[in-house]
Amino acid sequence: MNAPFMTYHSTRIDKKGQQRWPLDYPLLMTTLVLLGLGLVMVGSSSVSIAEQQYAAPFHYLWRQVIYMLVGFVAALIVLKIPMRIWEELGPGLILLSMLLLVLVFIPGLGRTVNGSTRWLNLVGFNLQPSELVKLFTLVYLAGYLVRHHEMVKTTIGGFFRPLLLMSVLVALLLLEPDYGAAAILLMTAMGLMWLAGVRFLQFFLLLGVAASVLALLAYISPYRMERLTTFINPWADPFDSGFQLTQALIAFGRGEWFGTGLGESVQKLFYLPEAHTDFVFAVLAEELGLFGVLMVISMFTFLIFRILYIARQAELRDRPFGAYLAYGIGLWIGLQVVINLGVNMGILPTKGLTLPFMSYGGSSLVVMMIAIAMLLRIDYETHQDDRVGQKRGRQAR
Amino acid sequence: MKDSVHQPTTPFRLGTIIFLVVLACAVLVWRAIDLHVFNKAFLQNQGDARALRVEPIAAHRGMITDRHGEPVAISTPVDSVWIHPQTYSRDKHDLSRLAKLLKLDVRKLNKKIRLRQGKEFVYIKRRINPELAQQVMKLEIPGVSLQREYRRYYPMGEVGAHVLGFNNVDDIGQEGLELAYNNGLQGTSGLQRVIKDRLGRVINHVELIKEVSPGKPLTLSLDRRLQYLAYRELKQAVFMQRAKSGSAIILDSTTGEILAMVNQPSYNPNNRLNLKGSRYRNRAATDTFEPGSSIKPFTVAAALESGKFSTASQIDTAPGVFRVGHNTIRDFRNYGQINLARIIQKSSNVGATKIALAIPGKNLWRVHSGVGFGMTTGSGYPGEVEGVLTHSSEWRRIDQATLAFGYGMSVTPLQLARAYAVLANDGVLLPVTFLKRTAAVSGERVLKSKTVKQVRTMLEAVVSAEGTGFKARIAGYRVAGKTGTSKKTNSDGGYADDRYISVFAGMAPASNPRLVMVVMINEPRAKVYYGGEVAAPVFGKVMAGALRLMGIAPDKVDEHSVRMAALGEHL
Repeated sequence: MNAPFMTYHSTRIDKKGQQRWPLDYPLLMTTLVLLGLGLVMVGSSSVSIAEQQYAAPFHYLWRQVIYMLVGFVAALIVLKIPMRIWEELGPGLILLSMLLLVLVFIPGLGRTVNGSTRWLNLVGFNLQPSELVKLFTLVYLAGYLVRHHEMVKTTIGGFFRPLLLMSVLVALLLLEPDYGAAAILLMTAMGLMWLAGVRFLQFFLLLGVAASVLALLAYISPYRMERLTTFINPWADPFDSGFQLTQALIAFGRGEWFGTGLGESVQKLFYLPEAHTDFVFAVLAEELGLFGVLMVISMFTFLIFRILYIARQAELRDRPFGAYLAYGIGLWIGLQVVINLGVNMGILPTKGLTLPFMSYGGSSLVVMMIAIAMLLRIDYETHQDDRVGQKRGRQAR
Repeated sequence: MKDSVHQPTTPFRLGTIIFLVVLACAVLVWRAIDLHVFNKAFLQNQGDARALRVEPIAAHRGMITDRHGEPVAISTPVDSVWIHPQTYSRDKHDLSRLAKLLKLDVRKLNKKIRLRQGKEFVYIKRRINPELAQQVMKLEIPGVSLQREYRRYYPMGEVGAHVLGFNNVDDIGQEGLELAYNNGLQGTSGLQRVIKDRLGRVINHVELIKEVSPGKPLTLSLDRRLQYLAYRELKQAVFMQRAKSGSAIILDSTTGEILAMVNQPSYNPNNRLNLKGSRYRNRAATDTFEPGSSIKPFTVAAALESGKFSTASQIDTAPGVFRVGHNTIRDFRNYGQINLARIIQKSSNVGATKIALAIPGKNLWRVHSGVGFGMTTGSGYPGEVEGVLTHSSEWRRIDQATLAFGYGMSVTPLQLARAYAVLANDGVLLPVTFLKRTAAVSGERVLKSKTVKQVRTMLEAVVSAEGTGFKARIAGYRVAGKTGTSKKTNSDGGYADDRYISVFAGMAPASNPRLVMVVMINEPRAKVYYGGEVAAPVFGKVMAGALRLMGIAPDKVDEHSVRMAALGEHL
């Protein structure tokens, strides 16, 4: 099963026998490359809109740099926190998540943009709690699965209890509304349950219920369904409901094989709304072409597999909390990437979801970097036993 | 806490996840290739349809200069402020700052933008000067941009307004010479293909489709100095006489060039807000009036040409009243037995009637129409009218009688000036023009040279102490001219007793005429209304200045200049 992931371990130990920073470098380097490319694309895609809004072409770029520095500091701190602490904090974090999602609705604290109340107004910066909530929920869920893994596998209650708790979070997210975050949260949780060994019957029963609820929704309000499905043929109404998507697709067409060249995008010049946030990938496709697109897809694919590998390693060494958390983060990042890229390329309905590591936005960036730090910590703890063993071995010799 | 030993995920469950990741990856890659490669042409077409635009390049409108090259109409670059409603923030503060700077009503502006919410381009204010435009851009309001255009500026202002006319906001001639010579002045705007951003701003110039060719400059026959002089005096006269309107024209009688043409009331062509249409009329070319006594020189010329009369002929005008059918023709007083010169000098209606009735109507018509009445002057001025001169075959006796002293026909001031230019130009009729002549123009002889000289001598007598036009005299120059005072028609077709048109038409220097001038004052409402009192002084003042400005040598040595010369010797 894990044959494709069986490398790199030997490289961890340098000549002195002990690596100074025993981290999973493939994961770290991929993340750094994605962050760097993201920074370049945020800068390129936001030049015009920043010039127009703030008369400072690098307004968004500098802000993103600051967010990234904050992310690095946060990641360094998280790297030092043992997983055991997270495991214990789980229930507290889920309560904090609920609190944050409620705070959003308090006038003066919450901030509404384009009809969605998703942000908390902190001094100078806006925090998007839903990003933190996604991570906290995974921490809680991982802990829950460890504590009750037998129950989860055998009883209906064990399966539905965490789902009940999550439905509160989902309800709060739908109130904002932030359908994208709600969908990610639910789908990640389902995926994690699947991996935890939920019974087939229960699992597919729930899937069936979800599907019928969706069908019912489409039946009750076809208008909503129609809005959801405009992505199938955006050219039917390219100047209204299909506007954003058609502009994104045009960006892909203009990009051809190797792109128009960095900075040469036309679509970012006010044609494509949200060019530096949710649709940064379309601008990348225009400026770097199919070549750039395949590069990004491969990097993300590698990243996901690497995360699954880290999770599997933890699992095999009897570190179930780290394993579940790593699986959860892997599913989360994977889903968000697939949805964002799918939205950009018009194969999924347009939803406000950022591309991890690349889209503009402080909350998403910092939280994603924290998640990677957690993965590095999980991997670190997984191999702690080896290192201890080696040390002992050396002493014995 | 743990209720049992933890079991790792089964390979099957992990396998499904891995399968889904691979599947998603494959779908994304396939879709990327589909978009980048297979749908390339369609998507690029759609992109071009949104971003590629064919843009006109504004052609610089040709400058208009006077005969000495002084600019009288210049196109200066200006900026138009426009807004892209979809990106405009609709911030109240921004809007009020913008409105304040441009002196616009905030509410109207807001409504204007709101109504065009779905549009890409809305003018906020067109043609403001570039400094103000830069201030607008300094406000840094999103969605607000500038567009370069050209604005016509007329340095002469109201002085040249009527002749020059004006253009509409798109720089196309609407009135006057701007309209008449629009094709040459306008040039042809070019076309270029550009890539625009969604705010309509040009990012890239792709190709030049059509070269822009700027409009050609136009040199007018007008002399700016004479134009100012004539305008000043006319405006003062119209004001002093409390007249309704007035016109004055100066022609170069040797070439037919119009050196000055002014009207009252006028307007400022550089700011045409809230103006009534009547102000725009170039009355000198578009309004007709009954010329009255100013026509008598042509009646006398017809008499002389017919051979029935000579300078020696005596006409009995006693008792100063003459009946034609049911109509009575009157003189100012009983002049008794007088010659042709005296008829002109005293402006005897009875005398003019008697000689007109003594010759065939055809002869009178031939002279009147020969000097250009009843037809356009060939100036090419838009809206110029022909006036009315019926053919002699349609005349009744009374028609022939009244035509002798300028009733029953109508002329424009420009036509009258052209007719007097025939008297000044040895009997040759020239087409008039607003353009500077570069080559000699051939005219048509319509009167005998001898006749013209005789009539001119008679006209000189008008500007003498005993004549009606004494106030048109000019120190140092001999002046020939004729006054005219005609009653205006009432709405019922009869003539009013209190509404007059005062005219003076004349030329100088009389010995070898160069300049012809017509002054027409419509409805003077001060005490006097005679052409000799109202129009002649304007003629005198303007012509005196014009002769000096043109450097035309004096042809009269009067007591005054002799005395001055003597004084000079003593010094």
